Amino acid sequence: MSYKKSFESGFSWIISAVDMGLFDFLRPKQIPKAAFIADYEALFEKKIAAVRPISQLTFIILDTETTGLDPKKDYIISFGAIKLQQFTIPISSSKEWYLKVPIANAEAIQVHEIIHTLSPMRLEDFAQQFLKYVGTDILVGHHVGFDLAMLEKALRPFGLKKLLNPVLDTQYLAMRLEKGPHFDSSMGKPGEFALDSLCKRYGIELDDRHTAAGDAFLTAQLLMKLLKLAEKKGINDYGTLMR
Amino acid sequence: MANVIVNRVKEFLKRFPPFSFLNDDALTLVAEQVEVRFIAKDEFLFLQGDPAQKFFFVLKEGTVHLTEKEKEEVQVMEVCDEGDVFGVLALLGRRPYILNAQAKEDSLIYAIPVAAFEKILQENSRVALYFAAGFASGQVVVRTDLSQSQKARTTFKEVSKDAGLLIFTGQSDLNYSSQVLTCAQGTSIQEAVVAMAEKGVGSIVITNLKQHPIGILTDKDLRNRLIAKNKNYDTPIDELMTSPVITKKKDAAFSDLYLTMIKNRLHHLIFTEDGSPDSPVTGILSDHDILLSQGNSPAVLINALLNTWDLSEMAKIRERAEHLLRYYLENEVSMDFVANIISEINDTIIRRAVQMACKKHEAAHPEASKVKFCFMSLGSEGREEQLLRTDLDNAIVFEDVPKEKLESTQAYMLLIASDVIETLLACGFEACPAEIMANNPKWCQPLSSWKELFSDWIHSPNQEALMNATIFFDFRPIIGHKVLAEELSEHIYNEIAGKSIFLNFLAKNALLNPPPLGFFRNFIVEKSGEQKDKFDIKLRAMMPLADIARLLILSHRLIGINNTFKRFEKLADIEPNYRELMLEAGKAYEILMRMRATEGLQEGNSGRYIQPEKLGKLQRQLLKNAFAPIDELQKIIRVRFQLDYFGS
Repeated sequence: MSYKKSFESGFSWIISAVDMGLFDFLRPKQIPKAAFIADYEALFEKKIAAVRPISQLTFIILDTETTGLDPKKDYIISFGAIKLQQFTIPISSSKEWYLKVPIANAEAIQVHEIIHTLSPMRLEDFAQQFLKYVGTDILVGHHVGFDLAMLEKALRPFGLKKLLNPVLDTQYLAMRLEKGPHFDSSMGKPGEFALDSLCKRYGIELDDRHTAAGDAFLTAQLLMKLLKLAEKKGINDYGTLMR
Repeated sequence: MANVIVNRVKEFLKRFPPFSFLNDDALTLVAEQVEVRFIAKDEFLFLQGDPAQKFFFVLKEGTVHLTEKEKEEVQVMEVCDEGDVFGVLALLGRRPYILNAQAKEDSLIYAIPVAAFEKILQENSRVALYFAAGFASGQVVVRTDLSQSQKARTTFKEVSKDAGLLIFTGQSDLNYSSQVLTCAQGTSIQEAVVAMAEKGVGSIVITNLKQHPIGILTDKDLRNRLIAKNKNYDTPIDELMTSPVITKKKDAAFSDLYLTMIKNRLHHLIFTEDGSPDSPVTGILSDHDILLSQGNSPAVLINALLNTWDLSEMAKIRERAEHLLRYYLENEVSMDFVANIISEINDTIIRRAVQMACKKHEAAHPEASKVKFCFMSLGSEGREEQLLRTDLDNAIVFEDVPKEKLESTQAYMLLIASDVIETLLACGFEACPAEIMANNPKWCQPLSSWKELFSDWIHSPNQEALMNATIFFDFRPIIGHKVLAEELSEHIYNEIAGKSIFLNFLAKNALLNPPPLGFFRNFIVEKSGEQKDKFDIKLRAMMPLADIARLLILSHRLIGINNTFKRFEKLADIEPNYRELMLEAGKAYEILMRMRATEGLQEGNSGRYIQPEKLGKLQRQLLKNAFAPIDELQKIIRVRFQLDYFGS
């Protein structure tokens, strides 16, 4: 059995726990930094100007499929992502990667090896290609905190402390646009801002199969529509979008 | 290997032409290069006059209007919906866009790089033809060649297995015997011949213990191999039989069976369970069976009609003509040929019906039966366009008789007409709901009355006169004294000569039904009643064309061309300025006839009402293309007959 977070609802505490740094004590203190991690970190010396218009930004919309919902114990099985620039999603930028999972969790992937013929990547190859792919672009996902926690865990053995990219959560963006910036999500209807409900609401055709790449593609289409809506509400540059 | 995202794009694209014509590898290559774009409501994807982008577009979700701005007026030329391909000028000629593309609701667009498609365009002829035939939206320039559309249609169809054998009508008519006379190996000739004589058959199959066929012996073999060779009747059959035998499965394609027999000069073909000689015998097909099955060729049908006086036999033959029609439609036989054949069969039935009626009644009416008359077909049958057995429209004209004899003459003619109509109804034709039939006293008249009637219509064209005109002006003599019909034609042309006002009325009538051009999403469908939400192909598309053709032919005073598409062909010759348009219109009419007949055969009705959503994408586009000439022609007629200054 593998997990897609969109199926579940009882994990939001994990994200907040990660965000609050409660797991920091679990990290071994000194891991030697791989060269590709240093290269990645060096990219962030320059910041994106706040006045840069949305149409000039590059977004990486990503999603992961994991062995479970606990970043402490679980692993990424697959990673899917696609880029968005100038309200255009080039299909050629799409990625779908399968990862080798430690033996203890092999059960979970057996299912997947039947379904996916793509050969799994070594963790180190994934780490290198992932960082090269995302560069300094804005990372976007639905409930993206969980995916980032999983990704950071995967990259930690190579000396990464934290992903430095700006982050945008489509669930948060949708709430902000629909309900205003001070909306308390606990007041809303359950599932109102789940990916499936949002896709239905924004007229995006759903696929019945949930895969990391498939959900990333849906999220990318959702992001396009949300950004257009944001522009209409006066949110039209990097500064106001990431506020 | 393609990832999930590429696959999703592929799955969408392959539902629609021209992507449906690509193989999996080519489609993957295209899908990998797609860009998904989003344009919000009211935003433009491109503007008229913009240089062509490096992409052409497929609408994934939403609605896009292709509009043309002339001076200050913006006209919607086309409404694109899901799966529509547009903006292809980039692909075809890299000319600037001639239309605006504007989102009418938030829309997702798949942009396909031209570079990704260029190679495909060169290598895949179906894809090339798709664009050449103007099936993509907004392709105004390329669109004007309907012959490409027709060609494309044929190409896009699955190639029929036996397209080369058009005279055959397919398997269903093939009769063969499943009772096969067999005997064991080693049986004497004497015994075998006795068995053949008892069963009254000309062949016997020799089988082994498992009932597998070993050989066959026929009457001819008895002559050539037994008697001519002076062999003993005790000879075991094995010595004389033809062996090994050629076998087939009984559900093999007819053309396969037929060709096997021709190639191997077989008079008999043995069917076995699995088609090989190593399985039990299940039947036998003789060349005689084949000959009988060819009974549906037009020549055989017409010949059969000419040789029968039996009503039920005629009905059966007309039924077989329907199979023929179906076969012709499926195999894209030219409409000219099909219409000719079916009209000839219908005419033959009518002639035979008239002959039968005369034979029956002339003895009892010695005087009236000497009066010359002509039985005429009107409306679509008059135009030789009646493929299905829809409404009968016909009339009788008889020579003028002294006043005192008029009543009895008409009574006799009505008697004949009633019989003819009954015969035709028995042959599966439908009665005309408006009773425009020869058994109606109004339409069974002497020549002088007919002349008066037409004069009346021409001099005082009211609404009813116009409606009648559209039916009666297409009259065509079927049997009898054709001079009467010719005299009537001449009279009509002389009358029209001085009365241009009549043509104006006729022109106005021809414009009553504007075509639903460019609105596929909002196809003009029936608003209520039994045919709600269906498209009336006769009223909306065929009638406007038939009316225009008739009007123009009358205005040029041409006699003797009744068929709508032949009328357009003729008009192309005499109006060289509009040559292309006329040829287009003729082709459009052929396409519409074909669509209607196909629909009618499928649904077992008149085929008049078509459900737009049931049509495939290509058919819808074909229909759309067929509407273009209607609009053009109506514009010309409006100017030519000055209808804008012509009140009602």
